Amino acid sequence: MTRVRVTAPQSIARVAPKRPYHSREAAEDSDVGQVFVRSLIRSQLRLAVVVASGFLLVLAAYGSMVALVPQLAQMRILGIPVNWIILGVALYPVIGLSAWLYNRSAARNEARYRDLVEEK
Amino acid sequence: MNPAVGLAAFLGVALATAGIGFYGLRISRTTGDFYVASRTVRPWWNASAIGGEYLSAASFLGVAGLILLTGTDALWFPVGYTAGYLMLLLFVAAPLRRSGAYTIPDFTEARLESKAVRRVTSLVVVAVGWLYIVPQLQGAGLTIRISTGLPSWVGSIAVVAVVCMTVVAGGMRSITFVQAFQYWLKLTALAVPVVFLLLNQTGGGSAVLAEASSNPTGLQAAGLYQTVSLLVALLFGTLGLPHVLVRFYTNPDGQSARRTTLIVLGLLSVFYLFPTAFGLLGRVFAPELASNGRPDALVLLLPGKLLGGVPGDLLSALVVAGAFAAFLSTTSGLVVSLAGVISQDLLGGSVRGFRVAALLAAVVPLVFAFTTDSMALAGSVGLVFAFTASTICPVLLLGIWWRGLSDTGAIAGMLTGAVLCGGALVSGTIIGSAAPGWLAQPAAWTVPAAFAVMVLVSRATKHRVPGTVTRLMTRLHVPERPVATERQLR
Repeated sequence: MTRVRVTAPQSIARVAPKRPYHSREAAEDSDVGQVFVRSLIRSQLRLAVVVASGFLLVLAAYGSMVALVPQLAQMRILGIPVNWIILGVALYPVIGLSAWLYNRSAARNEARYRDLVEEK
Repeated sequence: MNPAVGLAAFLGVALATAGIGFYGLRISRTTGDFYVASRTVRPWWNASAIGGEYLSAASFLGVAGLILLTGTDALWFPVGYTAGYLMLLLFVAAPLRRSGAYTIPDFTEARLESKAVRRVTSLVVVAVGWLYIVPQLQGAGLTIRISTGLPSWVGSIAVVAVVCMTVVAGGMRSITFVQAFQYWLKLTALAVPVVFLLLNQTGGGSAVLAEASSNPTGLQAAGLYQTVSLLVALLFGTLGLPHVLVRFYTNPDGQSARRTTLIVLGLLSVFYLFPTAFGLLGRVFAPELASNGRPDALVLLLPGKLLGGVPGDLLSALVVAGAFAAFLSTTSGLVVSLAGVISQDLLGGSVRGFRVAALLAAVVPLVFAFTTDSMALAGSVGLVFAFTASTICPVLLLGIWWRGLSDTGAIAGMLTGAVLCGGALVSGTIIGSAAPGWLAQPAAWTVPAAFAVMVLVSRATKHRVPGTVTRLMTRLHVPERPVATERQLR
């Protein structure tokens, strides 16, 4: 086991210039390459906004349901009020599902980008 | 509660923490290990560590206490804490990992090419970290007083001492193991008592839970504005928490940063079922805790109250151990990330500087914890989220997704958010419970204000947008080259 002197991690500004894969980087810096990059960023942002709005809509739907159907607080499953079950248990799978769908689509966007760039 | 039990539980957790930290130190050999565990931590380890770090006093004690106090209104807290990670996944996780920056100030400096932005971000990060550590130490004080009868300051000082020792000795690699262990400890410490209590109390059917929705305090239900504002704070505050973000640099690449976040969401979802169950049980069996002003102690007292004898003592010990795991893990996560910021900006970035900075990061909030009164834990942590959402969140989101952000815009926006939100929180605290809702829960207007100022000022100072923005945006969003990810960091 050799001893290594521990120093500060290099921050991004200092490591940025020396990176491998010049050919591909050049392709990204070209005008056509930038078109691809911009479209990747746009599609990732669109995806994120869509998933986020979908989730917020679910929350809003729950909120208006509680407001519009006051009997909900009286209904019980196994003795536990229904609004406790929705808010305390049922929302979590919705969060997990949104995250899983997002991960799949984001990875697909990236794969599509890779194919485009490598075709050139 | 039997004092010996509480003391034994605390010593057990402290020893286990120190032991795992020491084991981590032996295998932490390089600079990279020390700071970011060489970015090679496996997603499951890393996700457990993120969960361990994130589940603070507010989650372990505060949520159940608040549910006891306000019922369904408080259920929004765990939902918001968890959904905050969804927002982090959607908007921040992969790009931030790809930026290669170690701290939030590193990121803003690289993105905006400006030392001034770096300094303002550092100030905000340190403020957030200190504000967040204070409730942890107050929770520790409460726990030590209830479990052993010793004065509160013993608990706060004990937590700071253990944290300083592990952080100063082991750095990030050992902390990762410690945090991962503490997630599972916290989960066990809540899950086992809940199962026992449910079996014991509702063995004859669940009819007894029917009273759960009764309101022991008669508190007014929160209005729509309050709930929305709280959700804004929790959803957008999580993605700016310094100790959460630093964890993402330990992933090998952007893709695994996303995978890690997904696992974290699963771990949090499972965890939060149990504080909710505790709150529900508390409303049925211990409503008097809500009226005598110590709802945060519900989790600690309920097992002893309902079971008594040896089983009660054992379960109490488990809960006290879990509570200390919560204080220790969140505090050490915050101290590591604050020490990273302080040492790089003030002390030249040596490991010695890191250690000095770690001491500084832990001792200052200790003074705050002694001099201020503790509020409800979940509530005071919620206010820190509001502050993060009004300051760090806009600069991260716009920095990652909008090419037009300029350094002046970023500074103006962060200062606006800090002044508005900070001002609202301070005046809301001074006025006390008579404060109007928009002061007590300011996120719904301070977050949009900070975003608006940032965008408008950036628009007005277009010429200050750095020339490197194209290259940086490419780096943030383009998937890593398959082989290059590890090598380029060494």
